[in-house]
Amino acid sequence: MTSSKFGARVNIRELSRSFREGNQLHEVLRKMSIDIASGETVALRGRSGSGKSTLLNLICGIDSPDSGEVEVAGNNITGMPERERTLYRRENIGFVYQAFNLIPTLTVADNVRLVLELNQVPRREADERIGYLLDAVGLSDRATTYPDILSGGEQQRVAIARALSHQPALLLADEPTGNLDERAAENVLSLLDKLVRQAGGTMIIATHSATVANYADRVLELINGRLAS
Amino acid sequence: MPAIYRASLGYLWRHPWQLVLALLGICIGVAVMVAVDLANQSSRQAFLLSMDALNGQATHQIVMNPGGVDEKIYTELRGKLGFRSIAPIVAGNVQIGEISLQLLGVDVFAESEFREYTSPTNLNNDLAGESVADAGKPEEMTRRLLTDVGAILLPHSLAASLGLQTGAQFAVLVNGKSYPATLAGTLGSGQQKGLGNLVVTDIANAQYWLGMQGRLSRIDVRVTPENESSVDDVVRLLPPGTEFLSAAGRTQTMAEMSAAFMTNLAAMSLLAMLVGIFLIYNSVAFAVLQRRDLIGILRALGVTRPEIFKLILLEAIVIGSLGAVLGLAAGIWLGEKLVVLVARTISDHYFAVSVANVELDVASIVKGFLAGLGATLAAAIAPALEASAYQPRLAMTRSSLERRAGLLVPRLGVFGVFLILLAALMLSVSRTSLSVGLGALFVLMLGFALCVPVGVRWISTALAPFAGKTGGTVGRMVVGGVGQSLSRTAVAIVALAIAVSATIGVSVMVGSFRASVSEWLGNTLQADVYVGVPGGSLDPVLLQELISVDGIVNHSTSRRAWLETAAGRVRLQAIQMAPGNYATTRIRDGDPADVWRQFEDGSGVLVSDSYAYRQSVARGDPITLNSSNGPVSFRVAAVYQNYDSNDGAIMMSRRVYDRLFDDPAIDSIGLYLADGVDADSIMVKLQSISAGRQSLIMNSNMRIRELSMGIFERTFVITNVLYWLAIGVAVIGILGALLALQLERAREFGVLRAIGMTPFQTGALVSIQSAFIGLLAGIAAVPLGLAMAWVLIKVINRRAFGWQIDLAVSADAILVAILLAVGAALLAGLYPSWRAARSRPALAMRDE
Repeated sequence: MTSSKFGARVNIRELSRSFREGNQLHEVLRKMSIDIASGETVALRGRSGSGKSTLLNLICGIDSPDSGEVEVAGNNITGMPERERTLYRRENIGFVYQAFNLIPTLTVADNVRLVLELNQVPRREADERIGYLLDAVGLSDRATTYPDILSGGEQQRVAIARALSHQPALLLADEPTGNLDERAAENVLSLLDKLVRQAGGTMIIATHSATVANYADRVLELINGRLAS
Repeated sequence: MPAIYRASLGYLWRHPWQLVLALLGICIGVAVMVAVDLANQSSRQAFLLSMDALNGQATHQIVMNPGGVDEKIYTELRGKLGFRSIAPIVAGNVQIGEISLQLLGVDVFAESEFREYTSPTNLNNDLAGESVADAGKPEEMTRRLLTDVGAILLPHSLAASLGLQTGAQFAVLVNGKSYPATLAGTLGSGQQKGLGNLVVTDIANAQYWLGMQGRLSRIDVRVTPENESSVDDVVRLLPPGTEFLSAAGRTQTMAEMSAAFMTNLAAMSLLAMLVGIFLIYNSVAFAVLQRRDLIGILRALGVTRPEIFKLILLEAIVIGSLGAVLGLAAGIWLGEKLVVLVARTISDHYFAVSVANVELDVASIVKGFLAGLGATLAAAIAPALEASAYQPRLAMTRSSLERRAGLLVPRLGVFGVFLILLAALMLSVSRTSLSVGLGALFVLMLGFALCVPVGVRWISTALAPFAGKTGGTVGRMVVGGVGQSLSRTAVAIVALAIAVSATIGVSVMVGSFRASVSEWLGNTLQADVYVGVPGGSLDPVLLQELISVDGIVNHSTSRRAWLETAAGRVRLQAIQMAPGNYATTRIRDGDPADVWRQFEDGSGVLVSDSYAYRQSVARGDPITLNSSNGPVSFRVAAVYQNYDSNDGAIMMSRRVYDRLFDDPAIDSIGLYLADGVDADSIMVKLQSISAGRQSLIMNSNMRIRELSMGIFERTFVITNVLYWLAIGVAVIGILGALLALQLERAREFGVLRAIGMTPFQTGALVSIQSAFIGLLAGIAAVPLGLAMAWVLIKVINRRAFGWQIDLAVSADAILVAILLAVGAALLAGLYPSWRAARSRPALAMRDE
C-alpha cells in the first residue's frame, strides 16, 4: 500500500475555535500550533472536551476555525471555500470514527466502493483495491454483508478499509478503539500500524487510551484547548 | 447504480411504509385532480358532441322568443328569397319507457347539407325485424318517416339497448301525452358521436306531438362563401322579435353556463392536491431528516452540497414519477365514477348531458402527471436544500434540529400572517373574478397553514404543566413531546388541519346554503298542490278543468322560457301570482307595494340575485328584452331571492308576458285549497280528470319541498366525495408522521420498556399522543374553516353563481370536525401504537 501522496506534512498555525452555549462563549481551541512531519503518527491525548475531536474536524475541513490556519501537504485547508474543501477532503483525507459511521444500507464492499466512486476511480481498479483492502483487514469473506450484523471490531475494520481506500495523504482517527474490547482494539491498532504507519503514511489519532498512544511516534497532550508543554 | 444512490435508495427500501405512504399521497392527489378533470372534460365533450350532432353543419340559427319561429318565415326564405341552405327544426323532449330523450323533428329533404346522419343514404337496416320485408332499404325508411304517423329513427346503440327492431311499435310520451310510435330505422351505426339520446322524426310529426303546429323551434342556416352575400337579405326579411344567431356561439354560451360549476370542482380537486403536497413534503422531509446521519457521513466523506441536493431531487423525481403514474391509473378509474355524478349535477342544473364513458383526454393526463411530479419536486426542494446545508458533522443531534425548527416557526408564522393579509387584499381588489377568488382562498389556506405550528407550540407549551399535574411525567411527555418535535409533527398537523378545515368550510357553506334554500322554498312554495308536465306544458282545456275542481280556491301559474339574445340565454319566468304570493317573495330592496305595482303594470320586472350579480344590474336599471313584437324596455323593479336558476332569472307578470310574447303555454300551476280540504284527495280527483289525456306530475307542498331539497343534496354529493378524499390524504399524512416519530423514538420506547412500562402503557402513550395531535389539528382547523366558509359563501359562490347566502354557523359542524380530526389521528395512530407496544428494549437499545 504505497502512494506518492501518502504521508502528508501537516502544519497548524494559531488555530482557535469557540462555541456559543447560550450566552457563554466556550473556547475549545486556543491559538494552537502543531507541525506534523510526513509519515509521522501523532497521538492527541486529553480529557473529554479538551478539543481533540474539534481539532480533527478542523484538520479535515468539516468545521471552520475562528482564526488560524491548517495546511495539509502545503494546501491551506482553512482558506478554501466550502466546495473546494469538500473536494480536497474527498481526495486526500481518510477518517476513522469511534462510532464507525458506516452506511447501514450499503454492503461492506459498497461502503468502501462509495469513496472510490466519489473519486472516480475506474471500476476494475476499484474492485482490485476493495479486494486488497478487505483482505488486508481480514474481511474478504464478508464483502456482501451489511454492517449492522458485524461485530464492533469488524465494523471498525471496514471503516479503516474505507478510510484508506482512496490512498489519502492523511488519516485521522477519532477514538478508533473507543467502542471496542481489548482484543478488537489491538487488532485495529495493528492494522493501522501496518497499513498506515509502516507504509509511511501520516496519521493523527485522538484518544484517551495510553495503549493507543504507545503506537504513536509522538504524543501531544491537550489541556483546555492548549498543548501541554 | 452508483453506491451513493444505492445508499440513499437503500434507506427507502428498508422503510417501505414510508415509500408507500409517499407514493399514496402523490397517487391520491394526482388521481383526484385527473378524475375531476376527466369527468369535467367528458361531460363538456359529451355536451358539445351532442350539440354538434344536433347543429350539424349549421353556422347560424334563426330563433324567436319564446314560442318559436313561424314556419311561414321558412317558406318565405326558401321560396321568395331562394335561400336554399336552411333547414327547419322542431325540437323537444320525448320519453320512451323511463328514458328521457331529445326529439328532433326534421325535413329530410332539407337535411343533406346539415346532418349527415339524417340523410336517407345513411339510414341503417341492420336491426331489421323479420316481419318488415322492405324495412332495410333506405328509401323505404325515408318513405315511412314521411308518411307514417309516429315513425321515428333512433341511434343504433339506443335501439339495440332498448331491444327495438326496425318496424317495432311502442308508445312514446311527449308533453305528458302518450302517442304510438314505430321504429323506421336506425341512425349512425356507432360511427357518429353525440347521437346517444336523440330521437329523429319528421317535422310534421314533431309539431303534432309537441303541439307546435305552424311553428318551428328554429331554422338552421348554413352560411357559405357562395351564399354569404344573401345573408343580409335573410336578416332583413326576418320579422321583429326574431334573432339571427351564431350556432357555435349559442353552443358555447350553453357550455359556459356550467363553467363556474366545473371551476369549483377543479378547485376542490386542487384542495386534495394541496393536502397531497403537504403529505409529499412530509414524506420527503422525514426521509431527509431520518437520513441526517447518512447525509452527514456522505458530507464527511467528501460529497458536495450540490451532489446531496441532486441526490434528494433525483429521488423525488423517481418517487414523483412513479406516484404520478399510479395516480393517473387511479384517476382514470375514479373519473369513470365521478363522471356520473358530474353529469347528473350538470343535467340537474344546466343542460341534459348523457355520458357513457370518460374520454381519455391527453391534455388532462399530461397535466395530471406534470402536477404530480411538479408537486413532488416543489415539496422536495425545501428538504433537499435543508439536507444540502447540513454541516458535515456527524453529531447532528435531534435537539439541534428541533432548535432550528423552533427558530423557523415564528418566522413562518409572520409570513403566514402576511399571506392572510395578501389573501384579504386579493379578495377586495379582484371584485368579481372567480379565479382570483379561488387563488385568494388558497393563499389564505397557505397563510393559516404557516401559522399552525406557532399555535401548536403555544398550545402544547401552555398545556404541558397541566398535563404534568394530571398525567405525571408520561402526561408531560405526551403533550410536551408534540411541541418539542415540531420538525416531525408540524407538517402532519398542518395537513390534517387543512383537510379538516375544508370539511368545516364546506359543511358550514352547505349548511348555510341549505338553510337559505329551505327558507326560500318555505316562502316560495305557498300552494298546497303543484301540477306540471315533465318537459312540456299543460293542455289549456285540461288546465281549466283542473282549476275548477271543488275545493280549489285559488291558483298561480308559471311558465319558464328561455330568451335567446346575442349576449346569451336568459331565463324568463312568467308568473301569475296567487294573492298570497306577493308577500312571501323575498325582495332584497325597494318598497314592496311599488315593486308589485310596476310588476303588474308591466313597467318593471324582478331579477334574481344571480341575474343582478352576473349582469351587474340593480334596482332602477333598464333591461331590454326581445319580445315577439321587437325590443321592449323595462326597469328592474327589484332584486329578489331565488335559487332555482344558477344563471339568474327575470320574473315577469303573466299578464305582461301574454301581451309581449306569442306563447300561451303554462308549465305548471299551484293550487290553493279551501280550509279543511285534503291535498291527497284533491290529487286523486285531478288524476282522474287527466287520466288518458295528459300525464301530469302532481306533488303536495311537502313533497315538492322534499324533491327540491333532494336535488340540492345531490348537487353536493361530489363536493362531499372530494373533501372525504382530501381527508383520506391527510390521514395518510398523519400515519406517515406518526410512524416516522415512532421510528425516531424507538430507543426512547425501548428505555421506557426497560424501566418497566408495559407494552399496553407504551402503546397507550402513542395513542394518546396521536389523539392530542388530532385535537391540535382540529382546534387549528376551526378559524381556518370558518374563514373558508365565509370566503366560499360571500366570495366564491357569489362570483360563481351570483347567489346570496346568509352565513349560518352551527356548533355541530365544528364539533364534528374536531372529533373527525381526533378520530382520524387515532385511526392513523393504531399501527404506530401497536409497533410501539411491541418494541423490544434490547433491540431498540442495541444501536448505541
